[in-house]
Amino acid sequence: MEIFILAFFTLGYLVLAGADIGVGMLLPYLGRSGGERREVIAAIAPFFLGNEVWLVATAGVLAGMFPELEAELLHGNYGPVVVLLVSWVVRDVGLWLRGRLPGERWRLCWDGAVVAGSWGLALSWGALLGHVLLGLSGPIAALPALVLSALFAVHGLAFATLRLRGELRRRAAVLSGGAGEARTYALTAGALMVIGVLAGTRLPLDAGPTASLLTPVILTLLPLLVAAQAWVWWTFRHRVTGPSYL
Amino acid sequence: METVDLARLQFALTAGAHFLFVALTLGLVTLVVAVQTWATITGSPVHERMTRFWGQLYIINYAMGIVTGLVMEFQLGLSWSGLTEYAGNLFGAALALETLVAFFVESTFLGLWIFGWNKLNRWAHLAVIWVVALTAYASAFWILVSNGFLQNPVGYVVDGDRLRMTDFGALVANPAAQVAFFHVLGGAMIVGGVFMAGVSAYHLRRRSREQDFFRKSLRIGIAVALPATLFTATFGGLGFQTLQPAKAAAWTRDVSGLAAAQAEMVAAHGPGDYLPPVAWVQAGGMTMMLAFAVLMFFYGGSFLLMLARPAAHGFRLWHWLLTATIPLPFVAMISGWIFREMGRQPWAVYGLLTTAEAMSPVTGGQVRFSLAAFVTVFAVLIVVNSWLLARAARRGPDAVALGDRPIDVPSPALTF
Repeated sequence: MEIFILAFFTLGYLVLAGADIGVGMLLPYLGRSGGERREVIAAIAPFFLGNEVWLVATAGVLAGMFPELEAELLHGNYGPVVVLLVSWVVRDVGLWLRGRLPGERWRLCWDGAVVAGSWGLALSWGALLGHVLLGLSGPIAALPALVLSALFAVHGLAFATLRLRGELRRRAAVLSGGAGEARTYALTAGALMVIGVLAGTRLPLDAGPTASLLTPVILTLLPLLVAAQAWVWWTFRHRVTGPSYL
Repeated sequence: METVDLARLQFALTAGAHFLFVALTLGLVTLVVAVQTWATITGSPVHERMTRFWGQLYIINYAMGIVTGLVMEFQLGLSWSGLTEYAGNLFGAALALETLVAFFVESTFLGLWIFGWNKLNRWAHLAVIWVVALTAYASAFWILVSNGFLQNPVGYVVDGDRLRMTDFGALVANPAAQVAFFHVLGGAMIVGGVFMAGVSAYHLRRRSREQDFFRKSLRIGIAVALPATLFTATFGGLGFQTLQPAKAAAWTRDVSGLAAAQAEMVAAHGPGDYLPPVAWVQAGGMTMMLAFAVLMFFYGGSFLLMLARPAAHGFRLWHWLLTATIPLPFVAMISGWIFREMGRQPWAVYGLLTTAEAMSPVTGGQVRFSLAAFVTVFAVLIVVNSWLLARAARRGPDAVALGDRPIDVPSPALTF
């Protein structure tokens, strides 16, 4: 059961936040002007806070139920984890700050932060999972990093196709051809989950003694957490019709 | 510096920055909840505008709390895995509950509050900010349960080379956690109240057109800050009852007390230096007390002044002082935190695990790399974000984008 909880939050993160990462990576392609980019960001804006928190929850589950695994994973991958965190911070701040001042250069600067941060997130996730899954490190780790980044990017495109309209949607549908957007999203989501599960099978998943206390609490909470998220998904189920607060 | 000192510096800078931003977040969210509740019940347009203005400042500030918090959480596994491995069953359990019971919901609902403006039913929108505020408190509670365990470990047995939880109730009921929670919550209310009063006074001094808006805000700010000061001091006083012997002796410069604490630790753990840095404990405690005294007298007087409408609108020297006091609660918060955390040294878990033992097996080069990366990024972001916060505060309620229809429409797509 502990492993199910860990997998639930990790895979949830990869699928949900993976789309935000992909959209951020391809922001210059999807949005050619400041106004367009703002509309593209509106596709992920209501979700990114609720999506990234799945990783915070994963870290919490690791700290409480798998303390030894947490230690080994994090300090054993010190470099990629630090790059991941810095990228995460830069991406988030780009999203938070881009809309706070009207100037064109201000927005361009923070859009750059979103793009750089999203690429940093994708590549460091790739390096991290490549290390866990294949034991690769050093220059050769660039290979899995690039493969996973490509997957995040395609996943982001599929999500953007589901959320955007008109010319922006046509651009996002460059791979899925428009009609197959939901299928593409399901495929890339499936691929991300498979990678996550495979990486999990390579980890020593021995739960600590506190798991017996935390498991029933978390299982009781789980429907509530999913309901809170579902409310967000339901509220913002329609396609983007204009720029958002960001 | 040694690797452990670098790692401590890294954690102290991250956690310190996080603590200051989060204090304002906690204070402001409470004020926003109060104002939005009033606006929703009465339909008062000025309170609706107050919700949006103070809400926007709350959100600008929130961003820094999130990003520093993320780095802090992951640093525990990066550089302090000795702590998570040794005490993961207690310390980690409280952290796990924080992320799942509190922060997960807080973050999800914050997105709903920001982007659901004019989209959700107004009562649903009000319910959302209530959930955000309550889960923010819950978050602070669980973080202080984990910190309280480090200060005063309870509810455990030593099982081989690590700790095992025996009493979850004792972990939660730990006085070092409970007292600190109310103390910090009160401190956050001071930060929020003084911020609201100071920003309002700035606009009143500048003869803003928004006299009604800012007089109301000024009164709310002061009316929260003064009782919060007394509340915080009460729990601070109770906190002195829960000090570790070495911290208490360092605070009172009690030489024999320090010697006794040292002798007791040497008897239990072998030779070593088991005393906290006295100068830091003293400086932290004294600064905190001084800031508290200034705040209490100044806000005591301000409470009387604000009741007189002519003073609220026209006493410009007082307005200037109110604005100049905005940093004071932050100073009190951070010095209180230094007092508490420096006074715990050299222990990570008091009397059980030293800070040096809590380190991960990482190299100096690794910590130097991450320290440089985090410090550079956070220094830039803190400057930019604080400037933005001040700018948004100065520009007043007319420039608020939160809850508004966005002004700029995307330009038509170019074809090529």
